[in-house]
Amino acid sequence: MSEPIISLRGVSKAFGDLVVLDDVDLDIPAGQTTAIIGPSGTGKSVLLKHIVGLLHPDAGHVFVEGVDVTTVSEAELYEVRKSMGMLFQNGALFDAMSTGDNIALPLRHHTSLSEAEIRARVEEVLEMVELPGLYDRPTSALSGGQRKRVGLARAIVLQPEIVLFDEPNSGLDPLTSDTIDRLIVRMKETLGVTFLVITHDIVSAAHIADHIAMLHRGKVEAFAPTAEFLRSTSPVVRRFLQRNLDLDATTAGGAPRLPHLD
Amino acid sequence: MSGHVRGFARFVGRTASRAWHHPIPTGKVWEQAWFIGVKAMPILLTMTAFIGSNLALQGYYAFKALGGQSLLGMFVSLAGVREMAPLMVAAMTAAKAGTEMASQLAVMRIREQIDALEVMSIDPYTWLVVPRCLGILIALPALTMMCILTLIGTAWLVTMLQLGESGPQFLHTAFGALTGQDLWIALFKAAVFGLLISLISCYCGFRSKPGPRGVGDATNAAVVTSAVVCAVVNYLISEWMYA
Amino acid sequence: MTRLASMSPGLPRATRFCGELGQRVVTGTMYPALIADHMWTLASRSALPVLATTLPTGMVVALQGLNVFDLFGAQRLLSSLISVAVFRELSPVLSSMLVAAQGGASFAAELGSMRIQEEIDATEVMAIDSLRLHVLPRVIAAVITTPLMHLLGTGAGIAGGWVVAVLMRGEPSGVYWANLWALTQPLDLWGGVLKTAVFGLIIGLTATYRGYFATGGAPGVGVAVNETVVQSVLGFVAANYVLTSLMYGSAP
Repeated sequence: MSEPIISLRGVSKAFGDLVVLDDVDLDIPAGQTTAIIGPSGTGKSVLLKHIVGLLHPDAGHVFVEGVDVTTVSEAELYEVRKSMGMLFQNGALFDAMSTGDNIALPLRHHTSLSEAEIRARVEEVLEMVELPGLYDRPTSALSGGQRKRVGLARAIVLQPEIVLFDEPNSGLDPLTSDTIDRLIVRMKETLGVTFLVITHDIVSAAHIADHIAMLHRGKVEAFAPTAEFLRSTSPVVRRFLQRNLDLDATTAGGAPRLPHLD
Repeated sequence: MSGHVRGFARFVGRTASRAWHHPIPTGKVWEQAWFIGVKAMPILLTMTAFIGSNLALQGYYAFKALGGQSLLGMFVSLAGVREMAPLMVAAMTAAKAGTEMASQLAVMRIREQIDALEVMSIDPYTWLVVPRCLGILIALPALTMMCILTLIGTAWLVTMLQLGESGPQFLHTAFGALTGQDLWIALFKAAVFGLLISLISCYCGFRSKPGPRGVGDATNAAVVTSAVVCAVVNYLISEWMYA
Repeated sequence: MTRLASMSPGLPRATRFCGELGQRVVTGTMYPALIADHMWTLASRSALPVLATTLPTGMVVALQGLNVFDLFGAQRLLSSLISVAVFRELSPVLSSMLVAAQGGASFAAELGSMRIQEEIDATEVMAIDSLRLHVLPRVIAAVITTPLMHLLGTGAGIAGGWVVAVLMRGEPSGVYWANLWALTQPLDLWGGVLKTAVFGLIIGLTATYRGYFATGGAPGVGVAVNETVVQSVLGFVAANYVLTSLMYGSAP
């Protein structure tokens, strides 16, 4: 395994009485795709938010490119974040801005590029996520899958070292979901940077990831290269795999997905 | 705009016909009256206390220029009871109870709970709107009465303690100027405002658009529309009763 | 030091929120274009409701004032009373109330849904200061726009009084305008503007605070809007009493 680019050491987090992360240690290898899987409500998203410094752990440390994001100043944290891009669960696009302006936002704030150069770069990343020509489209006119791709375009526009994905497949139909998976794989080949994907979809994880970690009851239940992980003998992992693969068989092509109500 | 006026008229018509033809869920009416009354009371009383204090201060500074401090009590009770108390109670009820009604119903709308009621053959007007309108109709006149007392009481305290004027004289002119008719009109205004606020707020909730933004916008529209309508209706009632 | 976003609700967080904003006023970019945008939103959304409430209220003051002045034969004082009442109290309170109900509420709804839909988190993850980008311009816009709405409301209130006194009761128009400023002082002008700027600050801070820290999905946005209106109105009505005492209590 290559050098870890993200390391969690003894990270614990509770919301009131609910312990979400319980003394988690985890090393994410650089330049590869790691998936963190687990049933809903096991703190996968919470873990991700600790890495970008949106949440502060009750105990423990999180190192990103050697910087402890739990103790640095706000200004230094912003510097670390500039080397990260994140795709939020529902895209987290700004309703008030057009598609292109959403993607251009980091460029306008963190670079001194001219408007023409910004436009060119945005068109380029829109091309990469296979949505050419949508620059002026209002975000309200985008479909669920398009929102995710625009979110992804925004996440990679600054050419980050690390790209984080929060449930890239949630709320999508199986076909769109597959397209997103393929897009992630191709994007990985083009960019060659570190991908960290949070998902509850084992089929998707097996497809895109080099390593898989499973989070269960606030702890890392298993963490191994994908092929090895799929052969894991841990009963928790087996149960999770079994259930998802059964469902996979019944729906041919992906786990059934319920629409998100909120 | 005209679409909303027509939609609102239809909404009021439906609510009225349900209140007339269907059995009224009395338990829910009292629950709403209690809920609105008790939850809004501390805020309303705090606000009228400040309004009363300020009325006393402003009246005093204005009348002092004319040498008419002795008229302060009369000014406070007439301005307070006839206009300020009903209007401010209406504004604050719109802000507190009205927004709550609008956001509750908007959330029920976007989560398809109102559709679910219809599918279960439970009439949402009888079940959700009628109790809120009748509840506020009971709660608001009672609250207005308490607010009038609070307003005169705090103005009296400010007159004595902060302005150093005679307390008994204040009370004498304050209650001397009030007639029973003033109180009845104030209560009548409160009832009308209550009905308007609840109907407008429920209507805005029912018409909510999806998403968190929809709930926020519905809540927002409810309070502004209620406040404007109450201010206009306040003038009409005063014109009718006092001119 | 723990970061603002991870603090639990309460006075320390509210204090810290105001402190961080104050610090940003002194240092760094202010985004004038955004401030102008939000001012436009506030003004365009609040202007009509402000007019629609202060106009009938000015009419009511004229109506009730005439009832009383008729007893003393002092009708000529009517317009002076209206301008004092409208300038000092009715317009500042009513206009700010409508700015809170309309503009403050929409700030809370906007920021609340940005919070719920993770737009604020996304801003932070892009290493952009969300307080500076989303919050500060709104607060500044509220501080500038509320006094403007107050001046608008004053005009409408005085016009409403004129409608009742002159058009409906047949008082002479010349007397109405001649006595209009008999009792008002310069203090009423700058005092009203200062007061409403403070009210605007209270509205802006309450609205952005409630929206920025909204929790609990779509219902949470409704709650944020509700709390914004109620708390900011209570806040500025209390501030009004204190400011009136200070400003007029010390005047000769």
